[in-house]
Amino acid sequence: MGASTLQISEVRAGQTCILALAGRIDSTNADQLTARVGKLFEAGEKNLVVDFKEVLYLTSAAFRVLLVATDDAERSAARFALCGVLGHVRELFEMGGLLDAFTIHASREDAIEQLR
Amino acid sequence: MARRPDRPGQRELPSRKGSCDAPPSTTELVIRNEIPQLALLSAAIERIGREHALAQKPLVQLQVTLDEIVSNVIKYAWPEGGSHEIRIQITVDAGNVKVDVADDGMSFDPRNTAPPAPPPSGQRRRPGGVGLHMVRQLMDSFEYTRIGGWNHSTLTKQCTIGTHTK
Repeated sequence: MGASTLQISEVRAGQTCILALAGRIDSTNADQLTARVGKLFEAGEKNLVVDFKEVLYLTSAAFRVLLVATDDAERSAARFALCGVLGHVRELFEMGGLLDAFTIHASREDAIEQLR
Repeated sequence: MARRPDRPGQRELPSRKGSCDAPPSTTELVIRNEIPQLALLSAAIERIGREHALAQKPLVQLQVTLDEIVSNVIKYAWPEGGSHEIRIQITVDAGNVKVDVADDGMSFDPRNTAPPAPPPSGQRRRPGGVGLHMVRQLMDSFEYTRIGGWNHSTLTKQCTIGTHTK
């Protein structure tokens, strides 16, 4: 169950790495995302975008991961941004008071353009 | 994993599925205080949502709420550690979903936690307090009682029936 509820796929666009998420992010699987993001920054990734377009919902466990990732990015002088924050997912960011805690681009294309 | 309908039979009545005049049906789950057990809970909500044809949005809001409430119990209710039970009762009555989460850990009223404080200027947001702050906005009601050494958080959400739109 828990292991298959979040799918993470990695896409490259020039100097930018996009982690496209699908499914749900909750306390049972947020660690998968932490591990994935941590590994990328450790490997020297300088431009990372997390795409939420296919995410059904997320809980505060996901916000925790994203806040840690923001710190990690700063420590490694990397850029970290989000995109595809829409519908239910956007409302949840809003309720958590976290819409302005991250750099959020309207679409993946926009994020790639901004991080070029 | 222990799961039993409180009123066996009622929950499965096929002719009443999704209908507003269906009798109330209750699902009870008993899980251990381990994070992976939350997967059983989200699977149960999903199944209840299907059986009662609940709309996706309130269903998602229930999923988020249960993850927040129960993960909080798992993390903080028993500072001494050890293996404990968490009892969850989900009742659907005419599209009104009521969830009761019970634990025999330390007395704690989750309604009274402070909303997340804005960060001092120039500093970043910290994650603490966000989950319960979201729950207060997601649910129609959020009650708490302590009965016989058990904490009971009772949450209700009015769900529209029969629409699956996002």
